[in-house]
Amino acid sequence: MIVRQLYSRQGRQLLSVNRQASILRRFQSTETQTPTTTVETAVKVETEEPVIPVPTESALDNSTSSDSIRLAATEAFSRQRQNVKNFKKLGSVVRNKYWPDALIENPPLPSQITLELLLANQTHLGHSTSRWNPSNSQYIFGIRDGIHIISLELTAAYLRRAAKVVEEVAALGGLILFVGTRQGQKHAVVRAAELTGGYHVFDRWIPGSLTNGNEILGSCDRKVVNAFDEELPEWAERLESRGSLKPDLVVCLNPLESTVLLHECGLNNVPTIGIIDTDADSTKVTYPIPANDDSLRSVSLIAGVLGRAGEAGQRRRFESAKRGVLGYRSVSLGKKDVAERPESEDAA
Amino acid sequence: MAWSSSNCVVHAMQSIRSPTVLRALLPQQSAARPNILRKVSLLPTPLQQRTNVRNYATELQPGEVQAAAEIDFEQFKARPARIVPVSPSYFSGIPKFYDHLLQIERLLAQHTTLPTVPPSEAPRRAWMKIAQFREHLGEEVPTKKYMGLLKVVYRLNCIDPKLLPAEVDAALQEFVRPGNPLGEKPKPRELDGMGRARGKGKRKESHAVVYLVEGEGEVLVNGKTLNEVFPRVHDRESATWALRCSARLDKYNVFARVKGGGTTGQAEAITLALARALMIHEPGLKPILRKAGVITVDPRRVERKKPGHMKARKMPTWVKR
Repeated sequence: MIVRQLYSRQGRQLLSVNRQASILRRFQSTETQTPTTTVETAVKVETEEPVIPVPTESALDNSTSSDSIRLAATEAFSRQRQNVKNFKKLGSVVRNKYWPDALIENPPLPSQITLELLLANQTHLGHSTSRWNPSNSQYIFGIRDGIHIISLELTAAYLRRAAKVVEEVAALGGLILFVGTRQGQKHAVVRAAELTGGYHVFDRWIPGSLTNGNEILGSCDRKVVNAFDEELPEWAERLESRGSLKPDLVVCLNPLESTVLLHECGLNNVPTIGIIDTDADSTKVTYPIPANDDSLRSVSLIAGVLGRAGEAGQRRRFESAKRGVLGYRSVSLGKKDVAERPESEDAA
Repeated sequence: MAWSSSNCVVHAMQSIRSPTVLRALLPQQSAARPNILRKVSLLPTPLQQRTNVRNYATELQPGEVQAAAEIDFEQFKARPARIVPVSPSYFSGIPKFYDHLLQIERLLAQHTTLPTVPPSEAPRRAWMKIAQFREHLGEEVPTKKYMGLLKVVYRLNCIDPKLLPAEVDAALQEFVRPGNPLGEKPKPRELDGMGRARGKGKRKESHAVVYLVEGEGEVLVNGKTLNEVFPRVHDRESATWALRCSARLDKYNVFARVKGGGTTGQAEAITLALARALMIHEPGLKPILRKAGVITVDPRRVERKKPGHMKARKMPTWVKR
């Protein structure tokens, strides 16, 4: 049985191979073509070849020649890049392509929040209905395919409110801390902190950083700055007697995992902003933003918008400083400050 | 029909009423009757009172309010306003580490398209050990995190050295051990003033030092002849194997000092020391000696005894009960 099948299979293939023809062709021709190759002994011909500079060790040691090698290599590389650039212009042009980092590098302003933008960035997707936290019922628009859909109107409203909070805190010189400890949130967290002039935690929140701050953050450097954020080194010695710093606002991108952080913020009266998905407890944060916290796009959008808000707040703070106005109560650092204290209050 | 709704009537009444309130003020404000306006402005009317109350800077008469004193910006700048952390990573507990990490990652993202060489061809640099790095930063950096950072550093080091940007080179130098031990080759050893070559060797518990001079093939170990020290032929052969395999037995005199261990260990410690000393005299012999296996260090030592075992690995005989 097996043998027959093998024959029938192989036989057809054998037939398809044109073997017979090659055998016939041999009989047709009277003269056989033998390959004639003239073998030449390889003789080294003395010709003037261009001398290629070989980088020897001594040459590499010599700074000038190594510089020239570097220069040549850099030139060759830049030429090649230029070629690639030139040839890229040819052919079809791809427009409106998706650039994943655009949301992080150039986030939208709080005034540019639209429901379309939120929808495009997946902020409406909640969790499976079985995992919901009933305290979020007010934020839920409906159920689709077994998952809760978050109401985008509410997301937009709460996001704008949170943006206002961030802007005001930044304008009053507060320390804003962005925390996102999930994998992949690092870039968004660092960028938002950079825009706001704030601080970031993207790895693990060390428990006790607020409640036991002197032990954990005691060795980290601080500085005294004036209204323009310029360092005043002559006041540095006064810092030693002071305790560690605490943030004035914490933006938490994953409240579900940051229970310790939120608890510490609660103990220290630090207001918090958090992205509340349908499975999170909205009472853990001061200013919830009902949105999807599992999508990196959603998280990047929200962090970016808050970062932009903080940027605007910082700008306001610097503008008022240029007018000689300190919009917040300045820090008191002892004797030298006492004489100047009433003036600062006047300015405020 | 619309009028029949009571709501509409109310709206309509309001729309009639609201302009009538303003109508009383209109003739005074309109530009069509400037005379009246001028007359009115002479007298203290309710309208003028209202404008004064509004208190806009543009409407105030000069001389009524004194300008605020000029701000002394020198003093304003010298006054401390806030205490802030130096680094944006302050709340992570190890801010300097994270600053380094972010800087290195930024550089990698910036120069990720530069051509690379295989890791074996990348310039050898001795990176800081974790303890050194901790001391350097003054922070208790977890080992795992430092290893993660080093991975990025290795990748940056693989950029083609000819195209390595200066900023990347400077950033990498931060992580190189001070002195860069791998960067400099050790000096080649030389004969001393009296034509002696000195070599050291170890095997098992024995340590040997050999002084090799050109001569007629005399061998002294701890002041005794080879026959006295090593009664076994095998030991005598292995002690002088470096000279034997290179056919130099009658060309050099050997003076060896050896201590510790047993006869085998001592003989093979001399082998290694002798081979190293011979390489100082004739570096060209290295391939032969390598092939003969006399410059390969044998790092094996006696394995320690373990509890529950009779020796290092031997277990006591199993008894049923």
